[in-house]
Amino acid sequence: MRKKRWVPWVLVSPALIVVFATTVYPLLAALYYSFHKYDLRKVPQFAIQLASQPGDPLISIDWSLLSLRNYTLAFSDSRFINSLHVTFWFTIISVGLSVIIGLFIAVVVQKSGRLQSLTKVLLIFPFAVSPALKGYSWRYMLNDQYGIYDLLAVELIIKPINVVIESLNNLPLIDITPINETVVWLADRFWALFMLAMSETWGWAPLIALMFVGALGSIDSQIFEAARIDGANILQIFWRVTLPLLRPVILIVTMLKTIFSLKMFDQVVTMTGGGPVRATQTINYYIHQVGFVRNLDIGYASALAYILVVILTVFAALYVAKFLNRE
Amino acid sequence: MAAISVVDARNTRASHSMRRGVARLLETVALLLIIAFIMFPIIWLALTSFKPLEKAYSTDVFFTPTLKNYEIIFSDTTVIENEGTDRERGSVGRKMIPNVINSVVVSSATILIAIPLATIAAYAFSRYNFFGNRALLIWILTTQFLPAIVVAIPFFALFRTVQVFGAPLLGSRLGLIIVNMSMVLPYAIWMIKGFVDSLPGEIEEAAYVDGANDFQVLFFVSLPLVRPGILVASVFAFIMSWNEFLFALIIGREMRTMQVALMTTSGVRGVMWEQMAAAGMVVMVPIFFLAMFIRKNVVDGLTMGAVK
Repeated sequence: MRKKRWVPWVLVSPALIVVFATTVYPLLAALYYSFHKYDLRKVPQFAIQLASQPGDPLISIDWSLLSLRNYTLAFSDSRFINSLHVTFWFTIISVGLSVIIGLFIAVVVQKSGRLQSLTKVLLIFPFAVSPALKGYSWRYMLNDQYGIYDLLAVELIIKPINVVIESLNNLPLIDITPINETVVWLADRFWALFMLAMSETWGWAPLIALMFVGALGSIDSQIFEAARIDGANILQIFWRVTLPLLRPVILIVTMLKTIFSLKMFDQVVTMTGGGPVRATQTINYYIHQVGFVRNLDIGYASALAYILVVILTVFAALYVAKFLNRE
Repeated sequence: MAAISVVDARNTRASHSMRRGVARLLETVALLLIIAFIMFPIIWLALTSFKPLEKAYSTDVFFTPTLKNYEIIFSDTTVIENEGTDRERGSVGRKMIPNVINSVVVSSATILIAIPLATIAAYAFSRYNFFGNRALLIWILTTQFLPAIVVAIPFFALFRTVQVFGAPLLGSRLGLIIVNMSMVLPYAIWMIKGFVDSLPGEIEEAAYVDGANDFQVLFFVSLPLVRPGILVASVFAFIMSWNEFLFALIIGREMRTMQVALMTTSGVRGVMWEQMAAAGMVVMVPIFFLAMFIRKNVVDGLTMGAVK
């Protein structure tokens, strides 16, 4: 073999240097900032000073400028605690819906057929719609006066349910309050968060379906055939054959989607602006507010960002462990 | 006895085919629901972008299509709508041509830098056994879990003070291209590595035997073979940087890409939806074509090959 030992290093180092500079540098710098008082409106005082004039010590460190203030502040900051709650629920709802709807789509489109193939092609479309645009289009469609989703939800879902409720109320001993037909989706604390998760689900469920379709395709179709011949019905095949076979892929997809959901930012800006009354302020959105919009406090924003990094590291570690296992 | 069993068989066959029919019907309904779920927001946005002003704030689907909204978002002067009628009104042009240029320049430059670096690195990761190969790859994999805000904060602070050609990097295309690397490069490396992995090594072996050196093999044997894969990775990286929002907002600032320019369709009365829809079409339609082109590879790209 004529391969030379130094060649791979020449080939990987340009990319490695760039990845290092654009990921490790900011990680270290943010950690450093997080121990400082660093307000964008003032010139920051850093603990480590390099010599600026001849005769100065080369490096001087002023320990008194370092503090844990930003971290202690975070855990008594009710808005930050709120953003943890919001992110938690957003993640639960969006991951749950994306995986379940994705699974449903995959099972339906997996069979051969013309309509199935067409749907498989269409599955890629939401991926092409940028998250910022997703947020705007959903906000438009959910408008209580001229939103098409508002109209459809009221006419096709809420009104029929209310008809049922009213007829039930005619019976003795039953009194159910009808659902409010004039709900303003994005002005309601619950619905705003739910619809934010729905917009995310719209973008991700088709992609997740594609992942499942790929996984289902690699399973020997004779397994399904055998189950059918043994007399299993569709539901039995799904629960006893499809689901167990897909389990590893479902696990990986769920972890991946969880990580992406925890970082959610774009749609919050364009869809809800964090409102109503902070009900949709995710961690990432709140950090942006602290650092660049409201307080211009880079030190505090860095500390909060680091807390997010720690949360994500837990999931990333699980993911990598799973990833290595599969290989 | 024989007659009865024939009737029995006929009955079961009939109920069987009826059950089949119901199943087919349910399947078709489910498929149509899925198609509606996926396509509805896209079609609605497209419709709205061609609606005249007075129809944009209604759920009407019958209207005379107009290109006025596209004219408004690109124009740098006031555009008159319904000229000569009692509904005449002027809309301030949104001057989005520079924003389109920004998006195109930033995304193109990002891939022009990222893809060559990623290609040679991916080749080395795939074809050479060197110390730390696995560890470095896993480390690159983990960078996709880094929240963009952690990258944005220190680069914001840095770019405020760094000047290139007399202008601060903050609010420049170059600044945006640099931070985009943090997101695009790891994906590109993993994606191209997947393509190199799938190439048979025999051709390279033969070239070595014929006396070619490492670089000749890379540039004249392997790269031409992996070209389709590089193209797919480029398109994927282009879509990623085109749709990127957080960096564009924090680092790009006044040098707005189309994603951030979407926000400029807001007026005093809130978002002007017909303009937002037109700008949205400009953002979305080119990416549809690109996405169709790499349809089969999107999943591998997004999951870095974890789901196969």
